[in-house]
This record gives sequence, structure tokens and C-alpha cells, in this order.
Amino acid sequence: MKLDEVVRALQLTEVVPAQKPGLEVSGGYASDMLSNAMGQAAPGQIWVTMQGHPNVAAVASLLNLAGVIVAGAASVAPETVQKAKTNGVALFTTALPAYEVCGRLYALGVGKP
Amino acid sequence: MKTLLADFHIHSLLSPCAEVEMTPHHLMMRAAAAGLGAIALTDHNASANLPAMIRLQEKYQVKVFPGMEVECKEEAHLVVLFDKMSQMAVWQHQVDKALSGRLNQPEKLGAQFVVDEEDNLVREEPRMLLGPLTLTAAEVVTAVNNLGGLCFAAHVDRPAYSLLMSLGFLPPELGLAAAEISKNSLAELQEQKLKARTGNLPYVTNSDAHWMQAFLDGPKNRITVRELTIKELRLALAGKDGRSWQAGIFIDN
Repeated sequence: MKLDEVVRALQLTEVVPAQKPGLEVSGGYASDMLSNAMGQAAPGQIWVTMQGHPNVAAVASLLNLAGVIVAGAASVAPETVQKAKTNGVALFTTALPAYEVCGRLYALGVGKP
Repeated sequence: MKTLLADFHIHSLLSPCAEVEMTPHHLMMRAAAAGLGAIALTDHNASANLPAMIRLQEKYQVKVFPGMEVECKEEAHLVVLFDKMSQMAVWQHQVDKALSGRLNQPEKLGAQFVVDEEDNLVREEPRMLLGPLTLTAAEVVTAVNNLGGLCFAAHVDRPAYSLLMSLGFLPPELGLAAAEISKNSLAELQEQKLKARTGNLPYVTNSDAHWMQAFLDGPKNRITVRELTIKELRLALAGKDGRSWQAGIFIDN
């Protein structure tokens, strides 16, 4: 599934729109521990988190993730948005709880073996 | 200049997870007997047992820094230290406004006791002190630094409640003065390249004691300062002007 299709299907708010909306999302990862995400998430995946700290943008950029979904109506710091823009990280928000975001992504086929 | 042993992360019986033996009087008595020159009392999001500690300073000749172990919005722990209770009062007011609003459940989480300097019960704290404040790490550090205090990230090498684990790396612009590491892990940490991920902050080691034996057995710091102030602690952490800070020191050595 492509990134823009994910955004449409989940009706995500595009805080920092994707530079490559047609990018194929290779899978998903969910964690609020950035140290864990750093070690476990893989390039091309979409990351679901409740963290809105600027380091989220740094980690996503470092790992070359397809994008980040900050779920559960969690607040995103202005510095996070700035950092995502600077580093070309697609950043989305949603009021849907993280559990539901993951469930819907999986139902759409994202990350299904 | 004076060189002394110091522990900047200790809980009293106000912390729900601490044993009732951790009264200000007991702590000061044991600190003095163990030859410590300075300690900080750092209860979870609370400071109500500090007045008793401060009143015992002169009797036991152990300097007490007003402190607190703050849980920030990112669910990580930061230890904050001040020179004066007046600064702590301002900070506690900000913390009170940022608490969850839940009530403590003593039977599940442990009781939270405020006592005087003679171990008499003053009151039980009804609010749930455990849990994250609505303040982010950056907001905590900025507010504390602006008040003239000092902040370090607590137990960064532990899996839980570590700012390093929550955030992946410590942003250098955060304004932390140090990173606290758990005992006996200095060599291990060097292998993990933790120094770079903590933004090359100086290391500190404290007992983070919740019971008396842990206080006596836990790691301390050997610091050399002209006087016991936050300003001097900053110089010691920076290793400037003849001041120094040595982590990983125990009571026996």
C-alpha cells in the first residue's frame, strides 16, 4: 500500500505531508520507546507512536521510515514539526487510539506477511 | 576546597514505593554515621518531607539539597535540585498544577507519609504522586534551570523511566547538567557508546534508595567543591577551577 493511500484510508491529518506520497509502505512498527523503535523499526515502515517529542522526527529520519503517525490525539511539539520538515519526514496525526491505527493498518494489508 | 561523599537521589516514606524506615531523621542519622557530607531528598513529584530534613542539617552536619524526582510527560524520570526551599516551593507549585489529579491507592501503590524531624506522622498525602506530569522534559528542565536549579536525567541505563530509553538519545539543547547511571555499569556503558547518546553529559551515580540498606550500599559521588551550592555543583560536574566530580564511589572505599 502506498503512503497516500494510507493517509486517505485512515483520514490522517497531514502535519508534514509526504515528499513521496507514492512511496510503498513496507510495513509498520508501534512503540513509544524511541530507543526501542531505533533498534527495531525498519526502513520504509510507518511508525505509530504517542510521542510527540522532536526526537521522533530525528529517529524517523535516521531510520528512513516512510512516515510517522502520532496517534490518540497526542500533542506534537512545534519543534517536532520543524524537525520533520527539515529532515523530510512525513508526519501525520489522528485522534484514533494507537491500537485502532495499528489494527486498521494491518487490515489494509500493511505489514501482513 | 573540601572533598566529600554525596548522594543526590534518595526517597523518603513520602514516596509510595519507599519503605517506612526512610524517615528524615533515620536518613540523616545514617548519612552522618556513614560519613556523607551532602544528600538530596528526591521524592516522586513531591517535597513535603524536606522541611524535616532541612531542620536536621545542623544537628547531623550533613548538607541537604532540596530535590525531587520528577516524572515528565514522556514518562521518564528527572532529578531536580535546588539551593533553597523557597525555590522548591515555587517549583512544587508548578508540579502540583501538573499532577494527574488521581488519588493514591495506598493498598495497591503504597502509602505516602509526611513526617516531622522526630518521626511523628504529620499527614498522609492523598494525591497520587506516581505518574507523569503534564510537563514535557524540556519544560521541566527549562523551568528548573530558570529557577536557579539543576537537572539530571535519572538512571538512563535502566529499561524503565529512563529519558534515554524514552527518547532514544538526549538532545544536547535540553539543558541537562548530567546523566545518572546505575551502579557497576560504567565499563558496560562505555561499550554501548552511551556517552554519545547522552550528549556527552557527565555521569553521576546515586543510590536511588527506597530502603535503608540500599542507601548504605548504593553508589555515591566524591565531589570537591568550595561550598555546597548548585553553582559549585555545576563547576564540579564541568571539572572546572579545581572542582571535581567522581562517580561510582561507595561508602566502603
